[in-house]
Amino acid sequence: MLNIKELLEDIKANPYKEIVIKSPHTGAVEFADIKPGDKVRGRSGSYSEKPGTLLANLTREKNRKPINAPEKGEVVNIRTELEGKFVEAGEELLTIRHFLTRKEVIELILKKALHLFRAPERAKYYFIPEVDQKLKVSGKRSVKVQDGMEMLIVSRMKRETPLAYSGPEGIIYSVYFTRGDNVDAGEPLLGICPEDQLTTIQDVVAKVQSEWDEE
Amino acid sequence: MRIMKACAQLGHDFICLCTDVDRECGHVDMARELGGDSCVYTISNYLDANEIFSVADHAQATAIHPGYGFFAEDFRFARRTMSRDRSMIFIGPSWWVIRELGDKINTKRIARSLGVPTIPGSDRPVYNELEAENIARNLFDFQAAQGIRDGMVLVKASAGGGGMGIEEVQDLDQFRSVFRRIRNYAKRNFNDEGVLIEQRIFDFNHLEVQVVSERGGRKHVHFGTRNCSVQSTGKQKRIEVAPGFAPGDLPYAFDAAKVLEDITHHSLTMAREVGYDNVGTWEWIVTPKGEPFLMEVNTRIQVENGVSAVISRVGGEFGVNIIKEQVRLGLGGELSYDQEDISFDGVGIEYRIIAENPDDRFSPCSGAITRFGWQEEDWLELSTQIPRNRVYEIPMEYDPNLALAIVWGESLEQAKERGIRFLDSVVLEGESGGSAAEFRTNIAYLRDRTANLLEF
Repeated sequence: MLNIKELLEDIKANPYKEIVIKSPHTGAVEFADIKPGDKVRGRSGSYSEKPGTLLANLTREKNRKPINAPEKGEVVNIRTELEGKFVEAGEELLTIRHFLTRKEVIELILKKALHLFRAPERAKYYFIPEVDQKLKVSGKRSVKVQDGMEMLIVSRMKRETPLAYSGPEGIIYSVYFTRGDNVDAGEPLLGICPEDQLTTIQDVVAKVQSEWDEE
Repeated sequence: MRIMKACAQLGHDFICLCTDVDRECGHVDMARELGGDSCVYTISNYLDANEIFSVADHAQATAIHPGYGFFAEDFRFARRTMSRDRSMIFIGPSWWVIRELGDKINTKRIARSLGVPTIPGSDRPVYNELEAENIARNLFDFQAAQGIRDGMVLVKASAGGGGMGIEEVQDLDQFRSVFRRIRNYAKRNFNDEGVLIEQRIFDFNHLEVQVVSERGGRKHVHFGTRNCSVQSTGKQKRIEVAPGFAPGDLPYAFDAAKVLEDITHHSLTMAREVGYDNVGTWEWIVTPKGEPFLMEVNTRIQVENGVSAVISRVGGEFGVNIIKEQVRLGLGGELSYDQEDISFDGVGIEYRIIAENPDDRFSPCSGAITRFGWQEEDWLELSTQIPRNRVYEIPMEYDPNLALAIVWGESLEQAKERGIRFLDSVVLEGESGGSAAEFRTNIAYLRDRTANLLEF
């Protein structure tokens, strides 16, 4: 049985996450009017349609692309020496200290409550077209999975192979991978909730909702 | 790496791109050695055209060599290179030539119009599942009527190449799911869902003709044929041999010399018709009866160009370098020799050393290389990105190719004997999942397959 109170206390002891903002691609960087200590906000809106605080602009091929804060937090440091310069992909630009949100805390705790279907190897993962379509149309909790069901495509070293789910029957409650990103071996891909544990999981969510104060 | 060497030999400055996961790759070491520290740029993705152009502008590059990958056959990329505000030269055929031949289906149409034989199947991209099923059903019925037991069809991404996005299907039920998967794959990788459906021809040999043409498309020569029949289950080449057959050394049930002559003739005919204007490869399959069918045209330099170069002589001289020719001609240089000046000498074998398990459907092997060495010989050229002075982690993002070795011999027998000698000298150690025993390479497979090369 999960001790949710204890888990919450652990998280409260260190409720921050350092987010390093890197240059997503090459280009000339111009920082926005921000300085260390400034508060920034992340994406918001019902569909995350409102961008976060502008941190910098990166110009490449005459396209000025804004770099916005992905989450709310506080600017810790800025590499002002890069101002106006051409940067390569992956160059560190600034760091944000982010206070964990209620949703993130729920996800952290759910990782301990759900059955985790883990990546068998480092690779990119995709849902097979049939599952992908169902998830898009009806949402992730609409897909029921069972042992041996072909569900994912593993893409590594430019080859794609189907991957069957193994584990208890249940519904997809959480998806931990993003299309196109590599997942390391052993990292969770999916959080599966067996149907008989749905009430327990909902209790976890309710408890965190009431006990976690957002900054 | 060979492109950088060619640039250095021609006296051109160059810059080199790498991604974060490729930082430790030997090609970065070579770039720094040949071009200095400032010639290496880290980009987010080799397939992001904006990244390439942005770096090219920053470095004030005047030409772009697209390598051997997808951009090399992407007419939009070639067109953009030439038509942007700060235009550059695209080292490859002109974009309109790539567009003409880059689509397998259009290539088939051109070939048929010139009387060049092509494989039975769809002659345009298929998007609709019902239409696709009908074509597949007709092909299965056709094979059954021909007396072929357990017929098969191939489902291919129309815009694909290099063996990517191709699957074999044995029945209609399997066809439906494979069609959807390939369509999905094609959409993700090539941004075009078009799928080609063809009859799978059994027990064939895969031959290629190396064509080299001058800018302007007026003059064309060929650098002979290659046999690329040793392939993985995923249709990726593992050994290439030049020339394509050895009629003087081995018996064939058909006139092999005539087949080689026919396919080079057909390839040059098509090159002339479309005004081909750089380096390219015409890919053929030859049936056990000696019937050649054009499969596709690769409008780019291929990895295996070196095996053709090693047996080629221009004006009787050794040292043909097709990549160097490609760069030179791409920049507007003159094709200063004719077909009569080109001769062929001996046999070349190219081995692709790969971290994979041939016993498990050639599944790629992840892990790290801890030791790599081989016996140097004057009949051997080896290119590898594996650094010799440190452990090398094989990136998960790309094919686990480790090295490319080209062996030359005066005869097929000598080339095979040298090939085996080279493979026996290779010391390649690594670990996968923390275990040396789990690390796999295809060296034993390459050795096994050497015995029967060019036999048909």
